[in-house]
Amino acid sequence: MSHPDGALVVEGLHVGYGEAQVLFDVHLAVPRGRLAACVGRNGAGKTTLLRTIAGFLRPRAGSVRYGSVDLVGRKPYEVARMGIRYVQQDKRVFADLTVRENLRLASYATGDWDWDVVFKYFPRLKGLLDRKGGYLSGGERQMLMIGRALLGRPKVLLIDEPTEGLAPAVVEQLGRVFEELKGQATLLMVEQNLPLVGRVADVVYAVKEGRVVAEITDPDAIRSGAVEAYL
Amino acid sequence: MDAHLWISGVVYGLSMGSIFFLLAAGLSLCFGLMRIISLDQLLYYSLGAYVAYQVNVSTGLTWPAMLCGALAAGALSWVVERWVFDRIYAREITFTMITSFGILVAGVGAIKYVWGLVPRPMGIPVEAQVALLGVNVPVYRIIVIGIAGAVYGAIQWLLNRTIVGTAIRAAVEDVDQVEGLGVDVYRLFTGTFVGAGVLSGLAGALHGPLVMVDPQMGLEVVPFVFMVVIIGGLGSLKGTLVSAFLVGQVVSLGSLVYAPLAQMAPFAAMLLILLWKPTGLYGSALLRR
Amino acid sequence: MSRRLRWWAGILIPFGVLAVARWVLPLPFLVEVLIFSVYTMACNFLLGRVGFISFGQPAYLAAGAYGTAFYLYYFGRDPLLGILAGLASGLLFSAVVGLVFVRLRSDYFALVNLALAVIVYHLMQKVLAPITKGDNGLWFLDRMTSTPVLDLTRPDGFVWFAWLVAVAVWALYKALDDTVFGACCLATKTNEDKVKFLGYHDFKIRWTAFVLANTTAALAGSLYGVYFGFVSPEMASAARAADPVVVTILGGTGTLYGPLVGALAYVGMKDLVSGVVGNWEFFVGLLLVVIMLAGERGIWGTLEPWLRRRWAWRRPAPALQE
Repeated sequence: MSHPDGALVVEGLHVGYGEAQVLFDVHLAVPRGRLAACVGRNGAGKTTLLRTIAGFLRPRAGSVRYGSVDLVGRKPYEVARMGIRYVQQDKRVFADLTVRENLRLASYATGDWDWDVVFKYFPRLKGLLDRKGGYLSGGERQMLMIGRALLGRPKVLLIDEPTEGLAPAVVEQLGRVFEELKGQATLLMVEQNLPLVGRVADVVYAVKEGRVVAEITDPDAIRSGAVEAYL
Repeated sequence: MDAHLWISGVVYGLSMGSIFFLLAAGLSLCFGLMRIISLDQLLYYSLGAYVAYQVNVSTGLTWPAMLCGALAAGALSWVVERWVFDRIYAREITFTMITSFGILVAGVGAIKYVWGLVPRPMGIPVEAQVALLGVNVPVYRIIVIGIAGAVYGAIQWLLNRTIVGTAIRAAVEDVDQVEGLGVDVYRLFTGTFVGAGVLSGLAGALHGPLVMVDPQMGLEVVPFVFMVVIIGGLGSLKGTLVSAFLVGQVVSLGSLVYAPLAQMAPFAAMLLILLWKPTGLYGSALLRR
Repeated sequence: MSRRLRWWAGILIPFGVLAVARWVLPLPFLVEVLIFSVYTMACNFLLGRVGFISFGQPAYLAAGAYGTAFYLYYFGRDPLLGILAGLASGLLFSAVVGLVFVRLRSDYFALVNLALAVIVYHLMQKVLAPITKGDNGLWFLDRMTSTPVLDLTRPDGFVWFAWLVAVAVWALYKALDDTVFGACCLATKTNEDKVKFLGYHDFKIRWTAFVLANTTAALAGSLYGVYFGFVSPEMASAARAADPVVVTILGGTGTLYGPLVGALAYVGMKDLVSGVVGNWEFFVGLLLVVIMLAGERGIWGTLEPWLRRRWAWRRPAPALQE
């Protein structure tokens, strides 16, 4: 398979903590401007995969490349500055910082002080600028996290469980946002919500016990939820 | 008892509290941000005092000598941060504590080697006294108090009004998240560590004229600085300020009541406070990584 | 039967070597190593088994030493009773202090202990100077009476006594590892909450461990007192606060022989270095940093796996019926 410039390619990735190995020989490739979703049970190693790509974990073997650049061995902030932004799970925003300060921090890190892109996708944040992160609802936090990651024109977005525990209306809104973002960035997402995956994903990787057990590219299969068979 | 004695006792306690604050603030910030206990700060304190003493003796200058002391301390802390702490930030707290204790002990050994064991007297920048409520008080002590107040204000301004301060506050909460946004947190760490080193050196230099400069001075203030940090709560700047002045007063006024007990009174105060609040006055549960 | 024999062999072989060394090494060196290893064993237990790091060990050392000194200087003449007095005072001191300290989080614990050492130092040097004679210390070498069988007032008798004490302490701590209590200690180190869920009383376990270890440190203090016939506040000096922690880590934290190996290396190095440059503090500090950066496994922690491999390679495979 040839990978055009701008693809996120993971090859032969082995990752572990101490004695325990979590990921075994993971291969995946997300073409530029596409959305790939990782599905799998809790503990399958999906978050470990995203954390490794983002530079928080160092793989034992294997490579992570974006275009022609090798990401392995780079520090998380370097990876982030290259435009590969990681949106962590559990909706972690800075509880003690206001929305404005949260955004300013992202602007400071990326040098991009134009917040229009954030408000274009999440107009709601505009009215919450002076509210502290700790007082936001789960949906608002998720908006802030993704919004923060949009500053500095990201090339790749790694999004971990964005819709977990959110109201259907918010999930619906996030789904629309993901569909719009697809054209501009490459997305790799961990998501348990199969209907949402069926709607937005171009590729689905089923992860089981640290291995990719299936790569589904057929749009009909994705939409029909055939992924479920691999969980 | 004589009211005059009490007033000068309070001033004495405030100036001593100021020194404690300068030392403990750095320790406390390093804990909050990097989750390290940097005992080597006490080495920078001693070094600050010795360099200030040396420059003072060779040139006769006083304030510039103290500045030299603070800068030398900052330089050493930078070297230690690059060579040692940079490798061990990810380790647990006790690990950094033991390692930094090693640095402290080695540094004190080196100071003994260079300057010998004999305590050295250091020149005081301002000899004048000023009348305060009818009591003559050394101006120098008041300046020391002023400097500590200014440093507190500056740190608060930095934390709350600048983008770097925002990054520091954010990193105290969740360092991974800050790094994930693309902030070079290691530069924040280095900056904070060196800043703490400079403050420790400043504390030593300012303390020099009030006591003798001697190799054990770092180890001698250890319990007091710890008391300040513990009573205030690790990682809390406001708590550090409050408890620094509290400990200063207890030591100073305690010695007016019964001199030998002055060394023990803060310890008793600390025990009581810890019994009541095991994480100190302002130590918050929020400070978890 | 053979299991018990093997259990004891684990202790008697290394100490047997040390006993033989009595005729090779200088006596004061051997005594220092033995007492220091007991002192370090306490710290090793706290650090390696319970997860307490204490920079205040000199406080407990001094508690034992002064218990012994007070008895021998003011009341009696029998060194054995003096050591008992030291043990009792160490027990009492750590039991009371432990009630407060054990509740603290580990980082606070370390700092508070160091503060305690300084307080004890000031207490002995200034506040209690009328009884402790301040910096001059208490001298009672010629007050002590000879004891039967092993004469503690003579160095060649004392060294065997110290040897016996060290063997007993080792046996105690080794036995402790196999008990429920030992397992609980290790469990509190790893995860306090889970121990509570299992129904064990976390505070009691930590308190008992604290008292046990610090009484051991006090025992070392008593031994020093009797050996030198002299006790001064210098014993509680914060400048020596790092010693047991350094030696624990030098030997290999949490290993059985770590304290012994560490004490041997440390005392040996101190004697050698101070003979050459006289400024051994610098080297001790540097050494500590280097060991920490090199992976904190210490001498025995590094040697043990290697020895095991050599041993296993030479020995035929163990019989299955064991």
